Amino acid sequence: MWEALKLVLPAIIPSWNFFDVIVPSPRIQYLILDSENNSKTEWKEFRPRPQHLSVWKMIVRMFWNPVWNESLFIMSCAERLIEQPSQHSEDEIFKRIKADIITNKKVNNLNETTQVQFRLVFIRREGDVLKEKVEFHSRSQTIIGEIVR
Amino acid sequence: MTYELAIRLTEIIMGFAFAQQSIEHFKSAFDERIIFIPRFILAILLIAGLYTPWVVALLLLLGMLLLNRFQGPYNGGADRMSLLIMCCISLTYFLPTRQWQEMAFGYLAIQLILSYFISGWVKLVNPQWRNGQALVDVFRFSAYPVSESLRGWAQSPRVLLVMSWLVIIFELVFPLSILSNISLIIALVIAASFHLSNAFFFGLNRFFWIWLAAYPSILWFQQRIFATIQ
Repeated sequence: MWEALKLVLPAIIPSWNFFDVIVPSPRIQYLILDSENNSKTEWKEFRPRPQHLSVWKMIVRMFWNPVWNESLFIMSCAERLIEQPSQHSEDEIFKRIKADIITNKKVNNLNETTQVQFRLVFIRREGDVLKEKVEFHSRSQTIIGEIVR
Repeated sequence: MTYELAIRLTEIIMGFAFAQQSIEHFKSAFDERIIFIPRFILAILLIAGLYTPWVVALLLLLGMLLLNRFQGPYNGGADRMSLLIMCCISLTYFLPTRQWQEMAFGYLAIQLILSYFISGWVKLVNPQWRNGQALVDVFRFSAYPVSESLRGWAQSPRVLLVMSWLVIIFELVFPLSILSNISLIIALVIAASFHLSNAFFFGLNRFFWIWLAAYPSILWFQQRIFATIQ
């Protein structure tokens, strides 16, 4: 009951403090591990934003914007993983990375031993310089099949 | 704007916003589809004005299921505003007297005013916002800009300083706009343009639609308050 109230109360009595402080910003990076060949890829950014987006695409996104909205959700999960770590947030990020890898065929010869791992890199400004710090490493999980602990 | 028209407009815009959000999840995992497909059907019923009290109550229930499913809002403030509107509209159907029903709808209008005023206030008290650095940081390294080319705005700190103060001043003076119907309409057009630019630059399209859904409440509220005073 208390858990349900904790979720609902901020909606009924909202704080409305949007963008009050600009906190360190997470980026999600992942790598693919192949235990059969004992090889792994470099860390890659998950869903890097495009170099340019046309006005027409921005207009379309007013009505159809599923990938970006999902990306905003997993950014929240990344922030939650640091503030209030939970298996739920880690699983949500894993689910999306795996779906992207499978849907976009990002791995050649995907098999049951192919694993994925992600890390969270937080970008913050110190003076005029942007600094990156890795603040979380996930376990590795097989892309198809069960979790490898 | 009459109370009945304002409620109806709120339901139609909210129904559109929910239908649009729900369609985006039709290709998601089963545990999301099982909530978003019924939500889409209910949103269409809401637009059509069929079984509205029960449709709104069920949408509220699904909203809570979504909070549980995602362990919080899926899209931050947009989901919170959605739940707030659903709570207020539900109460307008289930509270016993017209006076209480109007108070529930008026609560939505007051929260809409607060959504701008408090956002402005928290920026005003932050020196990073006052000197324009916060908006520079948003463009320079936050996760929000929808393309890398937009990060180039971080190279124009003077423009962003002016933009920061325009946003702060507008948000802080927004409550004064309810002093007349014309000033309120002008303020809402500016506010909608602000949400539209956020949708274009930061991909926050859900904020745009759901905030629009709350506008009829304040248009009714303004007339209701000033009719009472006069």
